[in-house]
Amino acid sequence: MNKEEALQIVIDAVKEYIDDDSTTINKETILLGNNAVVDSIGLVNLIVDIEGALSEKDLEITLTSEDAMSRRKSPFRSVETLSDYIVELAN
Amino acid sequence: MEKIMIITGSRKGIGRFLAEYYLEKGITVIGCSRSESDLQHKNYEHHCLDVADEKAVQKLVRNTAKKFGKIDYLINNAGIASMNHSFLTPLSIVEKMFKTNVFGTFLFTRECGKVMSKKKFGRIVNMTTFAVPFKLEGEAVYAASKAAITVMAEALAREYAGFGITVNTVAPPAVQTDLIAHVKKDKMDKLLQRQAIHRFGEAKDVANTIDFFLRDESTMVTGQTVYLGGV
Ligand SMILES: NC(=O)c1ccc[n+]([C@@H]2O[C@H](COP(=O)([O-])OP(=O)(O)OC[C@H]3O[C@@H](n4cnc5c(N)ncnc54)[C@H](OP(=O)(O)O)[C@@H]3O)[C@@H](O)[C@H]2O)c1
Repeated sequence: MNKEEALQIVIDAVKEYIDDDSTTINKETILLGNNAVVDSIGLVNLIVDIEGALSEKDLEITLTSEDAMSRRKSPFRSVETLSDYIVELAN
Repeated sequence: MEKIMIITGSRKGIGRFLAEYYLEKGITVIGCSRSESDLQHKNYEHHCLDVADEKAVQKLVRNTAKKFGKIDYLINNAGIASMNHSFLTPLSIVEKMFKTNVFGTFLFTRECGKVMSKKKFGRIVNMTTFAVPFKLEGEAVYAASKAAITVMAEALAREYAGFGITVNTVAPPAVQTDLIAHVKKDKMDKLLQRQAIHRFGEAKDVANTIDFFLRDESTMVTGQTVYLGGV
């Protein structure tokens, strides 16, 4: 999986989840913290959606690894960091 | 509408009874255990896996969700016991019991919970034991692992409420399966005396309780534990 594909999956999932055309979703979109487009339970849902989308592509990945949880900088910060993390796990 | 159920530990004992019982009711049952099953039914699939194997559990749950589009019910039945004085219990047995009873229940719950959350409907039922409230000597580790399941279910009931998923627990009465086959008669008799109802129960008593948890109407029933036989 390359970065473009991962970005597409994450962006599609965020768009579908927030279901609001007035918010632009791109790689800079923040997913965690004060300026996030989703709340904490929304992020949980999003992770489930993204795992599902990856599974559709026969990539059985769990995004919530111990490694992800213990990183000083969370891979769930933004669309881009999450996409990078997916690429890292997939390859 | 077709209902999809996963039952862990469905090869024998209570799990096997539940598989046949729910198949009879027209539910599609996906069963699993470490060994092959001889249960043949057009609406039954058996998968060989260890419930504590994260990758295998994910694969089974995801494949089930892909095939049927949903999972309505999960029965976390697989469980092992080891009845022995703690001085005589090797750590490896402790690990095995926690892996099967606690980690297995957690993994299936987490993975099925994700799938159920999409449909905003799900019923998860766990199995505990009277050894928890009776605090049975010789069953310290087994009881501790089952206590963990009960508390986990109570907390998950809250975590999953917003997704339309309920999480409940049933403690079977003493049922004559392989699990308790090697418990000595005098010990078993003593134990039965401690239940409000002084006799063995049957797997159908467990099914009756699970039926209540599964009902569409049981939307307000969550985080509960029913001790059959009366403790
Ligand atoms: N019988 C009782 O009096 C009683 C009382 C209270 C609570 N319970 C609880 O009721 C549940 C069922 O017990 P039971 O009496 O029916 O026991 P059982 O007759 O020993 O059956 C246990 C089932 O679990 C499966 N299993 C065991 N370890 C597994 C693993 N690591 N991965 C996958 N499957 C596994 C076994 O199949 P494989 O060997 O093929 O893996 C079998 O199908 C258990 O949770 C038990 O603690 C029973």
